[in-house]
Amino acid sequence: MDLAVAQLILEDRKIAYAITDHDLKVVETGGAAGILWDSYDGAEDGSNLGCSLPELVPELIGSEAVLVDILTGRLPRFELAWVNRETAEGATTYLTMVALPYRDRTGQIVGLIHLVEDVTDVGDLQQLLVQRRNELRLLRDQLAAKNLELATTNVELRRLDEMKSVFVSVAAHELRTPLAPILGYVEMFLDGDFGPLTDRQRERLEVMDRNVRRLLEITDNLLDVTRIEAERVELILRPADLLALVETVLAEYRPQLEAKAQRLTLHAHSDLPPVLCDDTRAAQIIGNLLSNASKYTPDGGLIEVSLALAEEQGFLQVSVADNGVGIAAEDQEKVFERFFRAESAALTQAGGTGLGLYITRSLVEMHGGRIWFESELGKGSTFHVTFLIAGRLAAAARNIPTSAAT
Amino acid sequence: MTRVSKKICLLGDFAVGKTSLVRRLVYDRFDDKYISTIGVKVSRKTVAVPRVDGVVELTMMLWDLAGSEEFSRVRASYLRGAAGAVLVCDLTRPETLEGLRSYVDDLTVVSPGAQLILAANKHDLGAQRQLEQAEIEAVTASLGAPHYLTSAKTGDAVEALFRHLGRLLMT
Repeated sequence: MDLAVAQLILEDRKIAYAITDHDLKVVETGGAAGILWDSYDGAEDGSNLGCSLPELVPELIGSEAVLVDILTGRLPRFELAWVNRETAEGATTYLTMVALPYRDRTGQIVGLIHLVEDVTDVGDLQQLLVQRRNELRLLRDQLAAKNLELATTNVELRRLDEMKSVFVSVAAHELRTPLAPILGYVEMFLDGDFGPLTDRQRERLEVMDRNVRRLLEITDNLLDVTRIEAERVELILRPADLLALVETVLAEYRPQLEAKAQRLTLHAHSDLPPVLCDDTRAAQIIGNLLSNASKYTPDGGLIEVSLALAEEQGFLQVSVADNGVGIAAEDQEKVFERFFRAESAALTQAGGTGLGLYITRSLVEMHGGRIWFESELGKGSTFHVTFLIAGRLAAAARNIPTSAAT
Repeated sequence: MTRVSKKICLLGDFAVGKTSLVRRLVYDRFDDKYISTIGVKVSRKTVAVPRVDGVVELTMMLWDLAGSEEFSRVRASYLRGAAGAVLVCDLTRPETLEGLRSYVDDLTVVSPGAQLILAANKHDLGAQRQLEQAEIEAVTASLGAPHYLTSAKTGDAVEALFRHLGRLLMT
């Protein structure tokens, strides 16, 4: 090949070479030779013939023993990939270097040929790739560390929450214990066991009675919440006549409704199949819904209870509708949260801890049922709960009409 | 004055601060921006090292090697001829201390007599520190290497570390 052509190719490919003698003294340079000394502290021009190769290529300082190994034939080549150099302008160039034995016509090693190729174009892309990859790795590690931190915090929060539950449970128990004799004595006074009462005394004792019962309800709710959170609520599930159960609860609450002159209706089919439930807890569920309906419905209002097959196969549905204050749209998604009281409920000045619906939902879900509601502010609410139809009777129940009413 | 050149490699995982340590030592500069090194960048720093027989002018050829695993294949050729190595870990990333053993293994294959020193870097990030002194000492004891708590950002202990390595190289 013509030397001029070879030089052209080397320059175009940005390849430089230096040839040394056996003492590593540079005897010839060529190609895009400027690459060799365009380093931050290399020689300033190409006049360094006669200097040692490591002087011309500072990256080789300290590697003299390796170069000697090539000169003696012990090492076939020495390659350094991606050697960085900073230009005077602060930009980085990337070079690939290879030191090879330089032989004469007889095959004797008489020196070294050192090739340097400027691979900055590829190097820039490679750097960008590695940069992005490393940044992602750092982010991944930070994320993992953050997750670990959150998990640790979570464990601590759970521990604190458990401590709080234990405290609330103990406190509620301790509060409840003295309430029983207080309530007992108030009842005895009201029943005349300690002699006749004046109207004023009766009136005050009735206030005491209402407030003690209210306190009892609050402590019972707190105990229920701690049991639910500790998963210590045990249900004794048995087939039960839901209609009979609803009627019992209605009878229990009738005096409360009558005191507010609220009308109560019950619609139900008489041939409904039994449901699988814990009698006491199912009564608590229905009682809570009824109590809420009465509490948030003005005097003289209407409360309608209905019992029918649910749309969802295998379930009976109890619905409690009122024409009370209703729940504002912005409050609706929070009504089942602990300690939440809708603004409309608070305005009625009816007492409440904001635990009733939380407990109700928990109990319904423990029974395998669902709870939901429709409500409009100022027009009233309808709460629905479902109970699983008991065992083999579930299949037969699918054919029972749902529109019947008593 | 006797003049000596020695090749020193900086080894450690990516983003532990190898490039920043070199930059602090050679140019007394620091840049918070993380730029990944690919391949190797060679810098030089000349220090005067006192010896019993006089002062030696030691030129340290500092080989700042890419820490990314993509370059582990070509790392052996970079390590050839190294007289010493600065092992760098990040005090905020415990895994970077553990990772140093594999770099030492690679180094001892091609340069078995290399002197070692450890830089536990990013000492300035005190609140985020996750490596205990005892953990660092356990590693340095097994490697027989001294260590320094360095900060390329503030410059803390950077020169002291390299001067110490210089003395080790001249003994």
